[in-house]
Amino acid sequence: MMIVLWLVFAVFIGSSARNYPVFILPTLLVWRYFTVSTTSALWSVIGNSSLVTRVYFPRWLLVLSSNLANLLGSSLEFAVLFPLLILLGMKVQWTILLVPVLLAVEFILIMGISLLISPLNVRYRDMAQVWDITLQVGFYFSPILFDVTVIPQRYVPVFFLNPLAGLLVAIRQILYYNSLPSSTYLLLTAIAGGVLLLAGSLVFRQFEPRLAEEV
Amino acid sequence: MENALKVIDLWKKFRIPHEKRQTIIQSIATSLQLLGKNRYTYEEFWALKGVDFSIRSRESMGIIGENGSGKSTLLKIIAKILRPDKGSVQTNGTTASILELGVGFHGELTVKENVRVYGAIMGLRSRNVKDRMDSILDFAGIARFRDAKLKNLSSGMQMRLAFSVAIETNPDIFLVDEALAVGDLDFQKKCMDKFREFKNMGKTIVLVTHGLNLVKEFCEHAVLLSKGEMIRYGPTGDVIAEYENRVQSASIR
Repeated sequence: MMIVLWLVFAVFIGSSARNYPVFILPTLLVWRYFTVSTTSALWSVIGNSSLVTRVYFPRWLLVLSSNLANLLGSSLEFAVLFPLLILLGMKVQWTILLVPVLLAVEFILIMGISLLISPLNVRYRDMAQVWDITLQVGFYFSPILFDVTVIPQRYVPVFFLNPLAGLLVAIRQILYYNSLPSSTYLLLTAIAGGVLLLAGSLVFRQFEPRLAEEV
Repeated sequence: MENALKVIDLWKKFRIPHEKRQTIIQSIATSLQLLGKNRYTYEEFWALKGVDFSIRSRESMGIIGENGSGKSTLLKIIAKILRPDKGSVQTNGTTASILELGVGFHGELTVKENVRVYGAIMGLRSRNVKDRMDSILDFAGIARFRDAKLKNLSSGMQMRLAFSVAIETNPDIFLVDEALAVGDLDFQKKCMDKFREFKNMGKTIVLVTHGLNLVKEFCEHAVLLSKGEMIRYGPTGDVIAEYENRVQSASIR
């Protein structure tokens, strides 16, 4: 996938960005972490229906365990990414210490969304399809393959309604532009994460009593 | 005397929807169609209608009744898996439920690993499981296969293993749903002995079963359910007599 994207955007179209792999690899991984985590959390309750209908335990632990497993997986992916980026000519600076912070913020974001969508998937079984399409659209509306600078100025605030946008911009700032990410965007992302987490817990609590009947 | 378990005016309703709406698209489509009308129609089915009883500590309770009378629903509510629509359950002490054996068993893991997973699900601390691993495997009679994959064991062996883990939880209140009839005669005898031991220790057993002899042996009191209603609650002998009467008069008619 990465090779295809690199061919299409760097070789065929001729993206203006120098060192295109370093430009897209970090954002692609952040995005990948998001899609893989939310998609598997979507099924975390249904997939464990045999547990849900037979033993009592706080159901959100299913979502948490799915998300923690994917956090571990993605952390490993990032661990592999760094040597590759250095090989491709990334400068190593102390700012890369901020990457775990970004992952932590993303984890909160993912947890919130997972708590929101996983119980919905129990009641409405096409939630998975809806989420799949949302992700596909989201991929092109997120600054993954391009920079925010290509977005017309007046649409930028709308663009940042996407809770992932701030994270993607930040990781590119750190690993590609070797500068500190803008704290306002990061703060906004963190706030979005908090709000989603709150909304998610409320929705989950609403659905929890009936999960054993509907799953 | 103190109560081990108190069930207060328990009602539980299930919904039987008239129109199955399980997807968002359907949901939106029908809400548009039915805009203004009664949007979501379903039939109510009361699985429990005002069940109310208590179990004194050191005593056991049998729950009997025909299929679909609400026995398992009642047990699931006591085990907190389902929530009642009305009423409440008060428990005094720790509970463990054997509603179905082998929940969370995974065929690709070894026997020992499965014991750890299942122990965690049943609420055992991992340290305790480690300490008692040998006694669990011995009780199940499969100590030889400790490192074999679970899928290579016979189903009887798997059930025996699950049961052995479950009784290690050592709770104050045991919720058992038809789980006693696992394994061969020899293992059943071992289980009975274990339950007698629990009983002598003053633990409470809530037994859902069609095996009336079991109820007679273990339970001082019993509850007879029929179509969600509590028909009779009292000393075991009386309740079983009533149950047998009802079955007989039904077959005459």
